[in-house]
Amino acid sequence: MTQTEPVTAQIRMWWQRVEIKRIVWIWLGITVVLAIFALIVPARVMGSPASPTMRAVESTMTIFSVAAAPVMALVLSVAVYSLTGWRSRGSEPPIGDGPPIRGSGRVTATWMVVSSVLTMFVLIWGLGEMQSLSAEASAPNAMVVNVTGQQWVWTFSYPQNGNVESDQLYLPVNRPVVFHVTSKDVIHSFWVVEMGIKVDANPGEVTKTGVVPDTLGTFVVRCAELCGLLHAHMETQAHVVSSTDFAAWITAQESRAS
Amino acid sequence: MSTRTAAGTPTHREDVDVVGRRWRLGVGLVIVADASFVAAMLFGYRYLRGLNTEGAWLPHGSATAPIWASWLLAAGLLLSAVVFRWGEKGIRAGDRARLVLSSGVGLFLLVMVGVGQVVQIASFPFAIAASAYASSMYLLAGANLFHVVLTGFLGLAMWNRARLGKYSATENWQVGIVSLWWAWVALAAGVSALTTSFIVSPAIGG
Amino acid sequence: MRRLNVVTAVAGGLGLALPGWAIARHFLEENDFGPDQVTVITMVCWAIGFMTGIGAFNGPIGWLRGHDLTPEDELFLAGKDQGIRRYFRFTTDHKVVGIQYLALTMVLFGVGGTMAMLIRTNLISPNSNFLSPQEYNAIVGLHGLIMIIATIIMVTGPFGNFIMPMMIGARDMAFPRLNALSLWLIVAAVPVLLSATFLGGIPTGWVGYAPLADQAPPGMDAYMMTIIIFAISSAVAGANITTTVLTMRARGMTWNRTPIFVYGVVASVGLAIPAFPMFMASQVMLGLDRTMGGRFYVASGGGSPWLYANLFWLMGHPEVYVILIPAMAALMELTAVFSRKPLFSFNTAVLGIVGISVLSVMVWAHHMYASGWAPNLNGAFMLTTEMISIPTGMLFLVILGTIWRGRIWTRLPMMATYAMLWNFIIGGITGLYLSDVPLDYALHGSMFVTAHFHYTLMGAGLTGAIGALAFWFPKMTGRMLNERFGFISFWLVQIGFNVTFIGMFAVGLAGQPRRVFTYNNLLATGNFVSTIGAYAIGIGMLFLMYAVISSWRHGSLAPSNPWGSKTLEWTVPNPIPLENFTVLPVVTSDAYGYGEEPFEPIEGPTRRDELEPAHVGSAADEQSTEGARP
Repeated sequence: MTQTEPVTAQIRMWWQRVEIKRIVWIWLGITVVLAIFALIVPARVMGSPASPTMRAVESTMTIFSVAAAPVMALVLSVAVYSLTGWRSRGSEPPIGDGPPIRGSGRVTATWMVVSSVLTMFVLIWGLGEMQSLSAEASAPNAMVVNVTGQQWVWTFSYPQNGNVESDQLYLPVNRPVVFHVTSKDVIHSFWVVEMGIKVDANPGEVTKTGVVPDTLGTFVVRCAELCGLLHAHMETQAHVVSSTDFAAWITAQESRAS
Repeated sequence: MSTRTAAGTPTHREDVDVVGRRWRLGVGLVIVADASFVAAMLFGYRYLRGLNTEGAWLPHGSATAPIWASWLLAAGLLLSAVVFRWGEKGIRAGDRARLVLSSGVGLFLLVMVGVGQVVQIASFPFAIAASAYASSMYLLAGANLFHVVLTGFLGLAMWNRARLGKYSATENWQVGIVSLWWAWVALAAGVSALTTSFIVSPAIGG
Repeated sequence: MRRLNVVTAVAGGLGLALPGWAIARHFLEENDFGPDQVTVITMVCWAIGFMTGIGAFNGPIGWLRGHDLTPEDELFLAGKDQGIRRYFRFTTDHKVVGIQYLALTMVLFGVGGTMAMLIRTNLISPNSNFLSPQEYNAIVGLHGLIMIIATIIMVTGPFGNFIMPMMIGARDMAFPRLNALSLWLIVAAVPVLLSATFLGGIPTGWVGYAPLADQAPPGMDAYMMTIIIFAISSAVAGANITTTVLTMRARGMTWNRTPIFVYGVVASVGLAIPAFPMFMASQVMLGLDRTMGGRFYVASGGGSPWLYANLFWLMGHPEVYVILIPAMAALMELTAVFSRKPLFSFNTAVLGIVGISVLSVMVWAHHMYASGWAPNLNGAFMLTTEMISIPTGMLFLVILGTIWRGRIWTRLPMMATYAMLWNFIIGGITGLYLSDVPLDYALHGSMFVTAHFHYTLMGAGLTGAIGALAFWFPKMTGRMLNERFGFISFWLVQIGFNVTFIGMFAVGLAGQPRRVFTYNNLLATGNFVSTIGAYAIGIGMLFLMYAVISSWRHGSLAPSNPWGSKTLEWTVPNPIPLENFTVLPVVTSDAYGYGEEPFEPIEGPTRRDELEPAHVGSAADEQSTEGARP
């Protein structure tokens, strides 16, 4: 193969090689299997999303997995083929060396370009995601909920709703909410699992995260940072209800407090 | 770490210059590690000062340590390093007596600095638990003291070995690496003094 | 000096620690920080006593007094004519230190692995109550720290010490006494670390986050002291290895002709030198908080947990590459041998290692996306983190290119490469998920992260170390590693590993936090599967341990170069002379001339007992100390 031949002719010659054909077929097969896995499994395991954020998380997971499929398949197809097509049989040492391939500028360059493109894609996707999610969380009419973590309970208070306090999180559906999170003792991490949001609770600092819960139901809130003995039990529930139900709950809490 | 016997492996000797350069690189790398430690401590000081968590970096009205003390100690260290360097230049020219003198004087200055460092710590107008600023000052002062003690060991070794005639115009690489370390310790003290000269950040006010 | 050994070291340690403890208790018990002060003082006394007892200070103090070592002293220190006793002393011969590191690593893995079995047993069902919450948390922290230390030293320690100097054509390392020092410091630290078990454990996980670390029981002091001692050991070892490679390569060994394993080891310690002191600083600050009421991490005093997190991860991220790079480099080295091909694109391999190293110091805050410390910087760290996938991919290119059209000899070392390819592609891709900020918000602090780093550090790292062991075993012990047991171990471990951690990915995606002793009932199946996989790993590792120990004692004797490798360490005969080379080699080409130079038949691991007995134990070769007999 010389530099003077057109690229298409070179590719055609390259394709003629038996090993290339076989590897490509193996690669295709593995890619299809992995892509199907990617399209179905991760999102299913992550469960039903309860917010646009989680929906974005699940679709990112799926997209990245599908994009990773051909990459993983490439590694595996070469590895698998090598164990059949290039193997020195028997346990005796090989009786000759392989071809002295020191490198290939073309292969290396292609590899670099493809890996850079994939990285760029992942990066741009991620930055775009971050943009849209931060816009969501800082919506002007967002409700504020103060979240306090302490060993080993969560307490929520509603500064805009009469400073009602509760150990269960109640949220009105489809209304942006911003959480102001802090801790009374050690580092905790406020994690609303099915809504895909998380931020640490630090003593002496207030951190923020936001989400728009768009699904009615009861969801789980966990602590995601080891905070001592009963970290595993530092769990509570998030109830997403209609705005009328929410107003009713607030009223009930206020009267209970007074 | 003798000159005559550590040059290479027991049965295959290497040129003294080769060994000397090798040790210089090794000490340089240890200095890199130590510099990283110092940088971490100084980062801690600056970061906590900037964060001023709960306004408690330096609670209003608390006492602060006089800045000149750290600078004086750093200057003392610098002087001792310069004195020793003078001795290093001497032995390179074959002047053994100069090395003995300079390491003796350098060691004396180190002891002075060490005593001064202890005095500074003992006379801090705050307890270590008073604030993050206080804790940082104790840490940096303690680290400097540790440096001084370590360098004191090396200075004592230099004085003793020079006295015993271990070094000459051709075999003095150990003097060189001690000088390198000594200079680093002085530099670290200086950077530390510079950093701790800024006590209140604009965010805190006075 | 001649009577000092590990026994006198332990005696020295106890001899200073017990009175130190008694005196400290007497004076300090009453005050607020008493227990921690007493603990720290006791541990410092132990460390100083131990190092005195092993003779570590003899050199410096003798130097100060002007009493320099004679050549006889140096030969004694190098272990000449001491037989097996040299392994229990402050011996400077790099080969002895390498074996000592290997033994130490195996002990650490044994203890850490047992803890892993305990952890997984507790998690076999949601309410097994196998361990109390306090026991569980303590074991999780200890498991993590032990494994981190073990994986940091697992390739650089045994093989960076034993093999690397021979690979570059040197007689020993640059600073043989510092070599022994770095090893014995870790030995001194091990009892300190393990003492955490009866001091309340390490309840913070291996990261030791403050301020939880501030309120932890005295086991946390064990954590702190271990790190401080370990950081000193690493700095010394790093200076030694770097200087050795930079100044002691054989004549003619230009950087182009230096084997890739050497690059890997240098890059690893090159990262460790600036990184570990930052961790050490965080621990000194923790020590001041715990023993004197310091305010570094206490918010009410102006301290901040973010200070700890930053210092920790400034170390913590480079540290994973400290672990990974030597393992990958060892696999690259052996892949060329077992494919009978030159390393594909040596320059790319070097660039990959350098690229990873450089970028690794710029990514640390991806561990802190969700911490809230600097949300505006999350994007920047996402960029640097995702960019690391490019040099990492280069390493894949090199290995795949080396395998390409090779003559693959599927012995145990080569199988490690295949296992790594599978494990590391999974580990790398899941790392990419975690580097994406919104995905990380969902996955941080869950078992997904645990599975990811086990895939990289264990699936690629430990696998690489096992491959290195299988590869270099014949040179280090003079015997062949039993491949039957080696393969049984390999399959049990690799299959068990994948079962364990794929199960863990699943429960992590489903919302199980990490470091929890119980979990939601819905996650029971995933956890159960993980536990079964873990048991398979445990059994597999027992097979490996058996294989190593029995082969060391009774394995078939190995020829000097069973694999037909072209690197220099295989040119020295077994048993290896004390100073490796009588005449230092002069290098005229790199070690990857497969297919270019005339093919020399590979000896292979044939039994050579008929030829060896006359040579084994021969007193004629006064300088031989290695590989002859158990």
